[in-house]
Amino acid sequence: MKRNRLGDSAIIIVAVVIIALSLGTYANFSGEPQVHVRTDNGEFIYDLSVDTFATFAGPVGDTTIEIHEGKVHVHDSDCRNKVCISAGWVSRPGDWIICLPNNVFVLIEGSIQNNEGGVDDTAF
Amino acid sequence: MIPHSKHNRPIQIEFVALLAAFALFLSTVEYLIPKPLPFMRIGLANLPLIIGLGLLNDREYLLLAFLKVLGQGLVTGSLFSYIILFSFGGTVSSAFIMYVLYKYGRTWISLIGVSVAGAMASNITQLQLSRLILFGDAARLIAPPFLVVGLITSIILGIFAEQFVSRSTWYQSQLEGNT
Repeated sequence: MKRNRLGDSAIIIVAVVIIALSLGTYANFSGEPQVHVRTDNGEFIYDLSVDTFATFAGPVGDTTIEIHEGKVHVHDSDCRNKVCISAGWVSRPGDWIICLPNNVFVLIEGSIQNNEGGVDDTAF
Repeated sequence: MIPHSKHNRPIQIEFVALLAAFALFLSTVEYLIPKPLPFMRIGLANLPLIIGLGLLNDREYLLLAFLKVLGQGLVTGSLFSYIILFSFGGTVSSAFIMYVLYKYGRTWISLIGVSVAGAMASNITQLQLSRLILFGDAARLIAPPFLVVGLITSIILGIFAEQFVSRSTWYQSQLEGNT
């Protein structure tokens, strides 16, 4: 069986280069959790580590969110049921709070390194 | 050297059936092995596709690829879900790349290179599909581990296929029976 490994090495080198290029996509991914707020007026992004208040106008009035010590909650909202306020504080990437009447969607995005969640059912 | 013959069609179809059954069995074995992420696969079921390169002509090879997708869909239960798109896209692209490389590059590429190129084609196709269908741009975050696992397992599979092809008396007898 004749074996010339030149082509093999070339293919493996190309594969490694592709992997190296794909690793480059991690570079612009900070991993710092961010608070994304989607409203009628567009999407707003806040740093989860900076304490702040922010108010968003929606169909039924204003919704105010508060970011404090790496957690976020809805401080006040003009909606009827106040479900978003009773949702309380959220802090982990993937957590979210929604105020449906006022069309405000608060989502934490970022690295899930600190997430203690395990493998889910379908990912066995 | 490529031992395709037009004379004994029934025997060739038997090869396809045999290799497809082999792929079905290996899909089952692969399904048993736990994986950290659902998309990380060892690609065991690609082994018949690699071995079949030397025994089948293009149409039979295509048929084998389709049967492999079908078998995998049956075993994993994803036959009638959108997951089958990933399986289909990956298998067809890798089968195409492997066939072309084997046919036109076999003087300078062994089955290891063919296997690696096939795995890369399959993985990249599946990543693109997952970018379009499932995750959007976040798909690039799973790309590096996905590709690294693909590279390692495909090298191992390629070495195995190379050994199998050069040592198996069954394979040799099929080659001779064919020419």
